[in-house]
Amino acid sequence: MPEVSKMKKPDVKVVLLGDMNVGKTSLLHRYTERRFKDTISTVGGAFFLKQWGPYNISIWDTAGREQFHGLGSMYCRGAAAVILTYDVTNWQSLAELEERFLSLTDTANHDCIYALVGNKADLTDPKAQLSPDSDVASEECEESGCPTPPASPASLSGMTLHKQVTPEDAAALYGRILRYKGLEEKSSLPAEKLCFETSAKTGYNVDTLFEALFDLVLPCILRKRNENQESPTVDLEECRGTSNKRTRSACC
Amino acid sequence: MSVKAFELVPAVERDLLMGDKARINIECIECCGKHLYMGTNDCFIHHFLLDEVTSSKGKLSYSAQKLLHKYLGLKKPVAELRAASALERLIVLCDGMVFLVDMVTLETVPSAAGGGAKIRGVTAFCINENPVNGDPFCVEMGVLSSKRRMVQIYMVYEDRVQLVKEVSTPEQPCAVSVDGYFLCLALATQYMILNYNTGASQDLFPYNSEGRRPIVKRIGREEFLLAAPGGLGMFANAEGVSQRAPVNWSESVIGAAVCFPYVVALDESFITIHSMLDQQLKQTLSFRDGHILQDFEGKVILASTKAVYVLVPLPLERQIQDLLASHRVEEALVLTEGAQQNIPKDKFQILHKRILQQAGFIQFGQLQFLEAKEYFRKGQLDVRELISLYPLLLPASSSFTRCHPPLHEFADLNHLAQGDQETVLRCKKFLITYLGEVRSTEAANGCREDVDTALLKLYAEQDHDSLLDLLASDNACLLADSVPWLEKYQKYFALGLLYRSNGQDSAALELWIRVADGDLQDSTRSDLYEYIVDFLCSSLDLVWKYADWALRKDPAMGVHIFTKRPAMKELPELNPDDVISYLGKHSQALLLYLEHLVLERRIQKEKVHTHLAVLYLEEVLSLLSQSPADEEQISRAREKLQSLLRESNLYRAPFLLGKMENCEQLLLERATLHGKLEEHDKALHILVHKLRDFPSAEAFCIWASSCRDSAYQQQLFHLLLGVYLDGNPPGKAQAAAGGGGDLEMAAVDLLNRHGEVFDAVRVLRVLPEGWSLQLLRPFLGRAIRASIHGCRTSQIALGLAHSENLQLLHDRLKDRKKPIFVSEKKGCHLCHNTFSEPDVVCLPGGVPVHTHCVAQRVRDSPTKRQLTNSSNHT
Repeated sequence: MPEVSKMKKPDVKVVLLGDMNVGKTSLLHRYTERRFKDTISTVGGAFFLKQWGPYNISIWDTAGREQFHGLGSMYCRGAAAVILTYDVTNWQSLAELEERFLSLTDTANHDCIYALVGNKADLTDPKAQLSPDSDVASEECEESGCPTPPASPASLSGMTLHKQVTPEDAAALYGRILRYKGLEEKSSLPAEKLCFETSAKTGYNVDTLFEALFDLVLPCILRKRNENQESPTVDLEECRGTSNKRTRSACC
Repeated sequence: MSVKAFELVPAVERDLLMGDKARINIECIECCGKHLYMGTNDCFIHHFLLDEVTSSKGKLSYSAQKLLHKYLGLKKPVAELRAASALERLIVLCDGMVFLVDMVTLETVPSAAGGGAKIRGVTAFCINENPVNGDPFCVEMGVLSSKRRMVQIYMVYEDRVQLVKEVSTPEQPCAVSVDGYFLCLALATQYMILNYNTGASQDLFPYNSEGRRPIVKRIGREEFLLAAPGGLGMFANAEGVSQRAPVNWSESVIGAAVCFPYVVALDESFITIHSMLDQQLKQTLSFRDGHILQDFEGKVILASTKAVYVLVPLPLERQIQDLLASHRVEEALVLTEGAQQNIPKDKFQILHKRILQQAGFIQFGQLQFLEAKEYFRKGQLDVRELISLYPLLLPASSSFTRCHPPLHEFADLNHLAQGDQETVLRCKKFLITYLGEVRSTEAANGCREDVDTALLKLYAEQDHDSLLDLLASDNACLLADSVPWLEKYQKYFALGLLYRSNGQDSAALELWIRVADGDLQDSTRSDLYEYIVDFLCSSLDLVWKYADWALRKDPAMGVHIFTKRPAMKELPELNPDDVISYLGKHSQALLLYLEHLVLERRIQKEKVHTHLAVLYLEEVLSLLSQSPADEEQISRAREKLQSLLRESNLYRAPFLLGKMENCEQLLLERATLHGKLEEHDKALHILVHKLRDFPSAEAFCIWASSCRDSAYQQQLFHLLLGVYLDGNPPGKAQAAAGGGGDLEMAAVDLLNRHGEVFDAVRVLRVLPEGWSLQLLRPFLGRAIRASIHGCRTSQIALGLAHSENLQLLHDRLKDRKKPIFVSEKKGCHLCHNTFSEPDVVCLPGGVPVHTHCVAQRVRDSPTKRQLTNSSNHT
């Protein structure tokens, strides 16, 4: 991950939350590396710096295990968007979001955007088995055998699993999240815009999810940049950057 | 895994510290410059001088010299030692008491106020390394008390301590670290950040302190490293945000420190080293009975209960080289880039470039060309490093030598490929694309000759299409090196291009001519001859030298040298006279050239036109003289001659006429020439009597009068009619009977067809009496119709002119005059009678009078007056 090492200052933070084994790390992998690969249960957390146009967005992948639960609110602090992830074949994973994870988001920005993402859609939905770059993805899956999501082998045999969580369930939860946050449903973004069903395995809807979310946090980025400009602190990194440019243009 | 990032070097051996006293344990250490202090469980402070010794092999070791030890007299272990070097004091925590001792003498410092330099009931304290207070002669200290839920802030002076602030905490704190105003605290169940200035607090995360020592370690400005559940090392800044991903320690970490870019942690039996850049475990060192791990001014010092060690980081470059040696390119780069802040900028850039280049060669060696290219590009590799891997590609004259130390382990491509031709080929293809991309960029600056020459060699060897593109465009290929190479691969055409781009057009042509003549084999261009001609078209000096060859090979094509010269400013036009005289011996080419001059460039020169006409004529004559005559060829040749004779007005007609005077086969041409000379009677005579070709005669009349007025045309047609009607020329009585009829019929046809041209009256006068009306009906009908038509047209014209005149008069009147009223009550000014009719005459001044009165008056008046106005008014 050479991107991380450059230690650019992220403009905004996006956090992936959700129960263990719903596929948070796989989603992030699919988005950043364009492929599905074996992941091991995340320890603590990891983060990825995404260069999105002129902006740097840090995406935090958290550990779903109960053991690391206490760290969640720290990751969420100052987050501009939280991706609450569940597994469409596992009702409990949706319930956990409400019971355990929602309270972690108390530390996020007051205007934080919440997205509800039902992963592993390929297991229940034939259309999610086709991905934009499907041929590569399916090959890889057959090789890997996908140990992390325990339900995955089912799809190899062509069987679809029972879908336990419908989009309506997710939308209902989204409504409850807004209520929990004390937000008016009318003045907030509608559920259709922020409830997704994805498949990290096939890539179905993954880019859509992240790109849509980035578009929504853009105002937040701009506001933050604006504040930084007004602040009297001199950003040495930035100054160096600009002075470089100046000398370069001068010699041309 | 395993990078060797650190080495564990013994600093103070067991013997030196305690000799044979088995029960003495190290409790705490402090290091300040070369001074190492140690607190033991038997309430002693030991003071050592620690010297770094570098052996001749570059190996680092430490020699410790014991300076002093001092019993503090409390019979309890020394729990904590901190140096305040500016004050020359050691801050000691022993038996729940904080007090100061002199750094040199280790004597307890008596308080200025008398015994007040002590704080009691202390469980832990920490020094603020980034104090907000700028006083250099005091030290800020955060203190935790044993029974109170609060943190106290003290200022420590040379001889006293002063409480400046107290902040309460929700729970009993057990560990503390401070930076600026920010206290980072481990409470009984959680970590928190507390601003002692504002009192604002920020919970970090819950933590179970039972049985495990929390770690609260300041690692930089407003950033702390904390031991988190699940054996994690978590980072948190003063705002309570984690800006780095956590590292995964073991569950039982005792101490931790950051030595950028690594996090070093100590547990019961190991030192683990994680990279902060990618969170990976990089090195594990076995360390038994580990007890203390602390960093002092960047130096990481460890202690077991009995001995002290220094964890010495290996030079960054060595770590990177180790990684590269094991082909761990990504990690090496992450490490390099991560170290950016710690290395001076210019030095970093050099290092970074080199690492990128090395990384590129590693990827290259693994045939990962895409990645290799990217690294080469980013590392701004001197392209010649890569070229030099390929035997014989660099020009002999190149001054390049590989960089030292080498960027890679390969002697050359064959070494790399281990003789696998497939691999060699792939590498060559890569170099082709790479050089192709690089040659136009900055990367090729200063070595364009080497790059282009190498590329040329590769193209030639691989039979690549782009060879010609390279040579045809601006290039820096070295001639001396390329010639033998191109000859070897029989790329003569390309070689010619190379000569050309080196300004040796003549050499290029020589070579191409040899190929075109079949002396050399090169199938690059099947149309090489045409190419050469094209080339000569746009050259000036070489034209005369090689035109002869080109014309001999194919006159029709070769003449393009002269006829297809592009109009360019830098290319002066050739003098046509020179060309004509040059082409003297190439008759076919000369003909084509003259055609070009006359028909395409429309040169208006009598000489040229005459010359062309003569050549046409000669050709026709020579064809006619052949037997058997090829009718088709003759007619084509005559066609050309005739059309020139018709179209051109510049040639010398009498001269040509003289040339064909005796040729009875070229009557048509002669007629045309007579026509040109305005000897129409002769021409028509030939056409009518000799050729008996009446349509041609008619066509002649139309042609000869084409640019003249209708009278001239009429005259010609009358002339033709006259020739028809004059009947037979004398001396041809035999043909008279039939011929006369023909002529008459021709005359009738002529009249009926072109009736409109003739003057009908003149025609009727000359027509023989005996001709029937029926015969001439079309002519006459048309003539009468034309006459009537003319008559009526003129009447209409007259009428129209009249009405126009009237209209104009009316307009004029309207403009000039008011209406003149005439009524039965008004009287005529001349006769004083009233008007009975609307017809009146107006005298000047608008006075209406009777028409007859005016007539009377005019008749009577001596001078005849002109009436200016006459009009009707109602």
